[in-house]
Amino acid sequence: MANYLAQFQSIKSACDHIVIAVEDVSDLWPTVKSGFEERLPFKRACLNNKTRNLVFVENLPAEFILTTDSRLRSRFPQEQLLYWFREPYATVVLVTCEDLDEFKTILKPRLKLIVQNDEREWLIVFVSKAHPSNDQATKMAKKVYAKIEVDFNSKKRERCCKLDLHGPEPSFWEDLESKIMESIRNTLDRRVQFYEDEIRKLSEQRLMPVWNFCNFFILKESMAFIFEMAHLHEDALREYDELELCYLETVNVSGKQREFGGIDHGDDQAALLSPANKALTQIVQDDSFREFEFRQYLFASQSKLLFKLNRPYEVASRGYSFIITFSKSLAKHEFMRLAYLIGYGSAIERSPVNSASLSMLPWPKPSVWPSVPPNASSEVIAKEKLFLQEIPKVKHFGIQRKPLPLEPSVLLREANRRRASLSVGNVSEMFDGSDSDASLRMSPSNKSQVITMSRTNSSPGIFESSIDRPMRLAEIFVASEHALKHTISNPDLWKSLSSVEEFEQKYLDLLKGAADNYHRSWWKRHGVVLDGEIAAVCFKRGNFDLAAKSYEKVCALYSGEGWQDLLAEVLPNLAECQKILNDKAGYLLSCVRLLSLDKGLFSKKERQDFQSEVISLAHSEMQDPVPLDVSSLITFSGNPGPPLELCDGDPGTLSVTVWSGFPDDITLDSLNLSLTATYNADEGAKTLKSSTATVLKPGKNTITVDLPPQKPGSYVLGVLTGHIGLLRFRSHSFSKVGPADSDDFMSYEKPTRPILKVFNPRSLVDLAAAISSPLLINEAQWVGIIVRPVDYSLKGAVLHIDTGPGLKIEESHFIEMESYISVSQSVANLGNRHGSQKDSSLIVNKDFEQLHLNDGKIQLPDWASNVNSILWIPVRALNNNLARGSSSVTPQTQSIVDGMRTIALKLEFGVSHNQIFERTIAVHFTAPFHVSTRVSDKCIDGTILLQVMLHSQVKASLTISDAWLDLQDGFVHTGQGNGRPTSGFFPLVISPTSRAGLLFSIYLEKTPTEVEVEELRPDSILNIQYGISGDRTVGAHTPVTSNSTGTEDAGESLIFRSALVLQRPVLDPSLAVGFLPLPSGGLRVGQLVSMQWRVERLKDFEENEACQSKDEVLYEVNANSDNWMIAGRKRGHISLPTKQGSRIVISILCVPLVAGYVRPPHLDLPDVNEANISSNPPGPHLICVLPPALSSSFCVPA
Amino acid sequence: MIACVAVVGHQNNPLYIQSFTEADDALKLHHIVHCSLDVVDERVNNPKKSGPTLNETFLGLLYPTENYKVYGYLTNTKVKFIIVTTHLDVRDADFFRRFHAAYVDAVSNPFHVPGKKITSTTFAERVSTIVKSFGLSSAG
Repeated sequence: MANYLAQFQSIKSACDHIVIAVEDVSDLWPTVKSGFEERLPFKRACLNNKTRNLVFVENLPAEFILTTDSRLRSRFPQEQLLYWFREPYATVVLVTCEDLDEFKTILKPRLKLIVQNDEREWLIVFVSKAHPSNDQATKMAKKVYAKIEVDFNSKKRERCCKLDLHGPEPSFWEDLESKIMESIRNTLDRRVQFYEDEIRKLSEQRLMPVWNFCNFFILKESMAFIFEMAHLHEDALREYDELELCYLETVNVSGKQREFGGIDHGDDQAALLSPANKALTQIVQDDSFREFEFRQYLFASQSKLLFKLNRPYEVASRGYSFIITFSKSLAKHEFMRLAYLIGYGSAIERSPVNSASLSMLPWPKPSVWPSVPPNASSEVIAKEKLFLQEIPKVKHFGIQRKPLPLEPSVLLREANRRRASLSVGNVSEMFDGSDSDASLRMSPSNKSQVITMSRTNSSPGIFESSIDRPMRLAEIFVASEHALKHTISNPDLWKSLSSVEEFEQKYLDLLKGAADNYHRSWWKRHGVVLDGEIAAVCFKRGNFDLAAKSYEKVCALYSGEGWQDLLAEVLPNLAECQKILNDKAGYLLSCVRLLSLDKGLFSKKERQDFQSEVISLAHSEMQDPVPLDVSSLITFSGNPGPPLELCDGDPGTLSVTVWSGFPDDITLDSLNLSLTATYNADEGAKTLKSSTATVLKPGKNTITVDLPPQKPGSYVLGVLTGHIGLLRFRSHSFSKVGPADSDDFMSYEKPTRPILKVFNPRSLVDLAAAISSPLLINEAQWVGIIVRPVDYSLKGAVLHIDTGPGLKIEESHFIEMESYISVSQSVANLGNRHGSQKDSSLIVNKDFEQLHLNDGKIQLPDWASNVNSILWIPVRALNNNLARGSSSVTPQTQSIVDGMRTIALKLEFGVSHNQIFERTIAVHFTAPFHVSTRVSDKCIDGTILLQVMLHSQVKASLTISDAWLDLQDGFVHTGQGNGRPTSGFFPLVISPTSRAGLLFSIYLEKTPTEVEVEELRPDSILNIQYGISGDRTVGAHTPVTSNSTGTEDAGESLIFRSALVLQRPVLDPSLAVGFLPLPSGGLRVGQLVSMQWRVERLKDFEENEACQSKDEVLYEVNANSDNWMIAGRKRGHISLPTKQGSRIVISILCVPLVAGYVRPPHLDLPDVNEANISSNPPGPHLICVLPPALSSSFCVPA
Repeated sequence: MIACVAVVGHQNNPLYIQSFTEADDALKLHHIVHCSLDVVDERVNNPKKSGPTLNETFLGLLYPTENYKVYGYLTNTKVKFIIVTTHLDVRDADFFRRFHAAYVDAVSNPFHVPGKKITSTTFAERVSTIVKSFGLSSAG
C-alpha cells in the first residue's frame, strides 16, 4: 500500500474541495451552468461531524463537474475506494422534456439507468424551458415533472426539483441547495463510516508483524482530508492528533532502529509550518516514516488546520511544546554543537561557563557516524595542524587551571562505535581507554603524546586502505564537516562554519543576542555570564577595553553576591585586561581582590605572584599615588579586653591587632590609624602615625602606635591608611577574629568597641596640709603635706615648693617623706601607739626617705607613686612683731591673718610631666600663748594683783619652766621680787587649748624718777621660758634643730615674750569729756543726729609744755566708717580757756548707717595724756540705732 | 543521582555548595546553581496565579535541561535550596524538607554567624547522608 503513497499525495494535493457530478442528460449544462455556479460556495452547509452531530459549515467550497469530464472518467473501482475523498459527493441529473411520451419512452429508462447505482447520491433537476406566456408548454412541463416526481421520489426522500428557465422560481435554488446538501451529508457519512471501519480493522492488527504504518497513515490522512474538505477542521485536527499519537507509539515502542532523518540538504532550516516541505515518499522508510520529517509534517498539518480554525494562539502554544519535546528527540539525533564537531572547539574558551552551558546541551549521536569522504586526507592534515597550532591559553599570573571539557567526553569513542563498518568497542576502547579524549587536549604534554601516537598509527598513506582502523579526531571532524555540508542549506550558517574566524564571529553574535535577551527578561545572571564570554572573545581579538568592561560586570555580579569560586575564575582575566590597558589603579585593585579571595581558591605560589605584582607596581614609577581600598585584605581591631584608659592630657601607646591577608611578609612604608570619637562627631578623626616602616607578617600582627594626648571621650578605630611605595592604601574593615570574613557585602553593623577612653579632667592627685592646727611661729617647724594620688601614678613626679612671704624653708634640713595612712586608719593605730609617743612619725614600719630640696623642687620617690604619702618640710615663719597681750576689758582682737603663711605647691607628674597640679596651702602659725591681763584685786596699800592669763594656742603640751615680768615705767614689783612668781609653781604644764594664770603683785610707782622719763619701756614685757612637747602630725611641736636628736633639751629653752600694756589709773584728771545724752526719740538709720561732747577743764592749765596755744585743745572724732557717716570737721582745735571750770560743747552731725547696737563715735583729745582725761562714760559703750522708718511715698492709694 | 546541592542565602550569596560528582567540575555546577537563581527570582517575582502554589516552598523543576535537572526550594526566610540532578526526577519536596531541617539545625548553632557560609562538618555529613539515601530510594 505504501506504493500508493506518491499517488495519494498527488491526488490529495490536486483536490481540495467537494466535487458534485452533473449528469447532463438533456444537454442543459451550458444553459444553467452560470446559475448553478453562482450558488458556490455554499453559504451555509449542514453536515454531520464524526460523532454524527449536525454542524453548520459556512462557505463550503464545491465544484460542479460534468460526468463526461476527464477527471471523473476512467477511474478504477479500487482507486475509487482508496481515494474516495475525491469522488463526487452528489450527482445532479439535469433533464428536460416537453412531451410525456418522450419522457416515458426515452428519458425515464435512461434516468433509471443513471440512478440505479445506489452508491451514488443523486437528484434530478427538471429544467422547464416553457415560457410563462405559453400555457400549453407550461402545462406540459408540469405534467412531465409530476410524472418524474411520481417515478423518482420516494416516501422517504424527495429527489426532484424543477427549474423554470423563464419563470420566476425563487424557491428552486433553496430547494436544490438543501437537496444537494442532503446528498453530500449522506455521502460524507457513508465515507466516514467506511474509513472508520477500515481504520478499526487496521488498528486491530496493530501488533501484528504485517501491520504497516504507511497504510494506516493513508487511511487516517484520507479521513482527515475528507473532514478537511468538508471544512470540518475540528475533526480533521483530531485525526491528525490521533495519527501523531499512533506514530509516536510505533516509533517509540519497537526495538527497531528507526532512522531519524534530517540529514538532507536544507534540513537545517525551520520548515515547521510547511507540510509540503518534503514529499512523503522521500521520508518513507520500510513500513514507517523517518521521524524528523514526519513529525514536522504532522505538526505543519495540524498548524494548517488550526490556522483555518482561526486559532493561531494554539499554534503557538502547541508549537512551543512541540519544539520543547521534539527538541529532546531532535537532540538525540540532530547535529548540534556543530562547531565542536568540525574542530573549531578550540576557539571557544574552556571556561566553566561554557562547559556548564554546553553540558546542558546534548550532542549528536547519529546511529551511523558519517564516514570520512574519499580524497579528504588533505583536510584531515589541515585539521591536525589546527590542533597543533592551538596554544593552550595560560591565564595571567600563571594560574594553572584545568580546562573543563567542552566536547562530549566520549566523542571519539562514540563516533567510532557508531561507524557502520567497525565492530563495537574493541579497537576504539584500546585507543582511548588509557586516556579519555577529554584530557586529550588539556595539557600540551598529553596532547603531543596523543597526536604523535595517532600519527604513527595512521599516516595518510594507509588512510584509504585501512577501513577498520578507528577514526582519529581530525577524521571525525572532517567527516562531520562533510556530513554537515550536505545538510546545511543556510548559506549564512555555512559561512559561519567555514572557518574559525567566521565561526568566532557567529559565536559572538549569538552570544550578544542571547545576552541581550537575557538582560531584557531580567535573567541578569545568565546575561552577565554571557557578557563574560563576550569579553573572552573581545579579549582574544585584542579589544581589551570592551573586554575589561564586560569582565567588570561579571566580577561585580559575582563579588556582589559572594560567589567567590566563580569570581576567582574571572578576576584574573579582568586583571590581565587592566594590565594591558595600563589601568594601574584597576589592576592593583584586582590584585588586591584576588588576594582577598578565599585562600583555598589559589595556590600559595599564585597568591605570592599577586603580591609581588602589587609590590612591584607600588614601587614602580607611577606618576601619582594610587589610592586603594584594601579593606578585604588588611583588617584591624583593637586588642581584646577593656579599652585603653587614659586621663585627660596623657599620652600613651595604643596597641592594635592587624591581620594581613598577604601570603608573604609585606612592608608598609607608613601606617596611620585614625581614631574617631564616638560621641563627638564634630571633632573629626584623629590620625595616629606609626613613624617607622612596619612589616606585616601573614596573619596576625600587633602594632603599637604612639598616642598623643587626646581630648576626653571614648574613641573607636576609624580607618587604617598607609603607603606601600606610591600605593596609598586604606582599610576600614574591622575584624573580630581574623580576615576570614572577607565577603564584606554581608558585613553587619559591627558593634564598634571603644579602643580608647580618655577620661574627663579630674583630680589625679591631692595635696593637702597634714594638720590644721597652728604651728609655732618663729621656730623651725615641720609642715606636713599629704600627697594623695587619686588612682594615678606619680612616678617621676616633681614637686615645686615656693614659700610665701614670711616663711622660709630651713634648707639645712632634709625634707622627710613617709608613707601615710588615712586618718580613719590611723585613728585606730593611735591608741596602740600612745606609749611610744616619742616617735614623731605616725607609721613606724613604713617607707621613709629623706629628700633634698634642689632649686626649690624635689623629686618624689618611686615608692610614693601609688600610695598616699606625707611630706614634711621644715619651715620657719618669721614675725618680728612682739606678741601683744590684751586686757580683759578689751577682749582679744588678734587677727588670725597675722599668723597665716602660704606655701605654693606645684606638682608635675604624668608620663611626660604633662599633668600639673597646683595648690597653695595655708599654714597657720601662732605664738604658743596668748596673754591677757586683769587686775584681780586692788589692795588698800596700793598693791595691785595683776593676773596674767596664758591661753595655750597650740595643740601641744606646754611646759612653763620660768616666767618673769619686766614692768614698764610707773609700775614696780612689790617687795624685792625679781618679777617672778613663786618658783614652786614651776614647771607648770599647760594642756592644749587650756589656760593658766600667773599672779604678779605690783604697785604704782609714786614718784616717777626723772631718769626714767626717757620712757625706755613703754610696755611691760612678760617673759616665759617654756618647753613644748607636741606631735608634728597634730600641730605645733618641738622646733627642728640642727641636731635633730636633742629635741628634749632644746625644747626647754624656748622663750616667749609678750608685751603687756598696763594702764595707770587717771589720778589727776585735768579735763573731763562727757558724752551728752542723745535725743529721746532714739536714732534711726539715715536720720541726721547731732552728737555732742562737753569738754570741761577740771583744773587750771599749768603744764609747762611748749604749747603755743594753751587755750586751744586738739580734738579728733573717731568712728567706724561702716557704721557712721560724719559731717563736719572730724579733727580740729577748739578754744578752751585755761581757767578751771571753762567748758565747751563739741557737736558733730552724724548719720547712722546700720541698725543695731553700735559704738558711737568717740571723741579723742590727742594732745592730752590719757591719764589726765576723765571720761564719762568711762569705757566703751553701745547705743541703739533703729531701722529706717518705712517710706510710703511710693505707695499710691488705689 | 544528585550532582550538587546548594544553599543560597537571601542575598543570593552561596552559603553552602557541595558537588557529588566524580569529575572535577565543581565550578561548572557553581555556574549552574548560580544561573538557576535567575529562574528562582522569576518564579518568586511572578508567582503563578494558581492557588496551591501560594504557600508552596517547593519550586519544582527550574531548568528543563538534558544532562542536568535543577530543582529549587525557597524557605520563608528567602533562603534557597538548589539541587542539580542527573537523570533523576524530584517529584515532591520531601528531599528538600529533610535538607531544610538539616539547614535549620546548622544555623541554630550559636557559633554560626547568620549570613555566613556554613562550615559545620556535621551539616556536611548530614547532607551527604540525605543525598545518598535519596539516590538509593529513588533508584529503588
